[in-house]
Amino acid sequence: MISQDLKTLEERSIYIIREAKLKFKNVAALWSMGKDSTTMLALTRKAFLGKIPFPVIHIDNGIDYPETYEFREELAKKWNFKVIVEKSKIMPDSVGSACCGKNKPEALKKVMKEYGFDALIVSIRRDEHGIRAKERYMSPRNQSFKWDYKNQPAELWDDYSSKSDAKGHIRVHPLLDWNEIDIWRYIKQEKVPVNPLYFSRNGFRFRSLGCTHCTIALKSNAKNVDDIIKELETTKVEERSGRSMDKENEYVMQRLRALGYM
Amino acid sequence: MMVKTIALLGHKDHGKSTLIGNMLMLTGSATKVRIKEAEEYSKRLHKAFEPAFILDSFAEERLNEMTIDTTRAEIKHKDLAFAFIDVPGHEELIKNMISGASYGDVALLLVSAKKDEGIRDQTKRHLFIARMLGIDKLIVAVNKMDTVGYKETTFNDVKAGLLKYIERIGFEKGKVHFIPVSAYKGDNLVKRSKNTKWYRGMTLIDAVYENAKQEGRKQDGPLRIITQGVLEGGHVVGRVVSGEIRVGERVSVLPAGVEATVKEITVKGKRVKKADAGLNVAIKIDKNIATELRGAVISGNKNKPKLLSKIKAKIFVTGKIGNNLSVKVNGIEIKCKSLKVLGSIDVTTGERSSKKRIELLGAIEAEVVLEKKIPVEDYETTRELGRFVLYSSREFAGICTVGK
Repeated sequence: MISQDLKTLEERSIYIIREAKLKFKNVAALWSMGKDSTTMLALTRKAFLGKIPFPVIHIDNGIDYPETYEFREELAKKWNFKVIVEKSKIMPDSVGSACCGKNKPEALKKVMKEYGFDALIVSIRRDEHGIRAKERYMSPRNQSFKWDYKNQPAELWDDYSSKSDAKGHIRVHPLLDWNEIDIWRYIKQEKVPVNPLYFSRNGFRFRSLGCTHCTIALKSNAKNVDDIIKELETTKVEERSGRSMDKENEYVMQRLRALGYM
Repeated sequence: MMVKTIALLGHKDHGKSTLIGNMLMLTGSATKVRIKEAEEYSKRLHKAFEPAFILDSFAEERLNEMTIDTTRAEIKHKDLAFAFIDVPGHEELIKNMISGASYGDVALLLVSAKKDEGIRDQTKRHLFIARMLGIDKLIVAVNKMDTVGYKETTFNDVKAGLLKYIERIGFEKGKVHFIPVSAYKGDNLVKRSKNTKWYRGMTLIDAVYENAKQEGRKQDGPLRIITQGVLEGGHVVGRVVSGEIRVGERVSVLPAGVEATVKEITVKGKRVKKADAGLNVAIKIDKNIATELRGAVISGNKNKPKLLSKIKAKIFVTGKIGNNLSVKVNGIEIKCKSLKVLGSIDVTTGERSSKKRIELLGAIEAEVVLEKKIPVEDYETTRELGRFVLYSSREFAGICTVGK
């Protein structure tokens, strides 16, 4: 995996996060308590003199790991930001897209409408998935959250034109350029707190964090951030290979994103 | 590791996605899952393995074997990494091509040597756009050499057919690498091919490296900060795009024309005495400015950019230019009072003429009159102050650069 220049990545992300706050009237960020969205919060504090000046949304299906809930409470207190928890339904007998593919966007729609958010910061990265690699830094969604991927707006020269219909919103993707290993190098450099589930216990660790239904731990002896960086330098295993949703068929991510999934 | 971005250019079906896909394969840069996905999909279409499917991830892209939107893929080589930017070659997808290519440090043009393919209008149009986007380093891969028996004369014909044009639109002819390749079969991509013994130049990956390792644009001109807005507490935030800002310095805020002294500079939450180009800053000045601070420019109080409402610009036309015109520059939108065509540039020859017709996917020189004055410099001096995006009734209509 390629390690990029962290300063370049950091400056671009700070620029985009500031744009999200200053271009739109009412922005929020999604937080899953995972490494990427937590790194996004660390970058937000850099952008705004130590503050997180917008609410942070957790779409909670109630079956995240206990460590994840603990981490949410601890960090929100430590960094002093507002968390909006919106409950989403689950389908007890199913996994993957049949379970959260529809329910998470529904819960998100509800909270976006209730608070009137016109922009949403989402911490996706290009290297996670071929479909996410096709995204813009700012990407419009219409009222029903549809991503019109066949007709994305032009984006150049820091002009994030990002049209959306009046009732839609803009997805802002400040971490699009980052690779998985860059996230971990940044976590190390900035001492960003992370969810303990990422570290190996009994020979297994989570590389990508979802809920208890759909995420399985992968074989690993990486017990700390340094170990993880070392592991990622040579691994040939895909980051999301512990996520059941990604295995259903190759277009499930395209279909879900088109319908408003994160 | 520094990542340099390599923007692919070229007519549709001349092999851009295949080339990147195969480079990923040959350098061991693609992940197993992505290769397996491409393999399975190739099988389903009863085709031999198609490396383009590693990049083309949308169902529609694979089904129709065409790239719809831009994407990136990274390859490590020596002490550098390259992010190859794939773009669509179809004319109607030009806005996606521009979006991708606008991030390029180096351009990599593909021209198919295959009979009846060769240099097309779109080949030249992409080169024209790349120059407008400010890319000055170019590699030309003459592709599909396997279909013409790797003949040197065919390669030379393509080269000769492009050299004059390349020079006319402002690339340095002597510095452009021409390389005979087969993107599909892998000739001269990462290893020298036995099929082209007559070719003595570099492999593609070495040529990319040679270009990418050269230094980028210097940002050592006079102080220019583009502001994004004001935070609660009065910090003005923005990015230093050239020069350096220091505490205690006298600065001008434009277009307001207010002069002030810099009291405080914060970079990534830390108070500093000075900040260089490339950094996002939060600054405090000793005056409350009751004016718009989004898309404003902070400069030294001596060396200031001009304030203009009448701007002469080169425009590449991407959409219908109607009555309701506006430009977007540094995060703000400004209405246009008028746009007068002064002449046109033939994007297939690079020649100027006095023709005053606006053609879609063509280029014009025009005088744009804005509703208010903005800080402007020529594109070569300060990129951020010499470029804007044209919108017509909120639709993307063109990219504009300001000449000297």
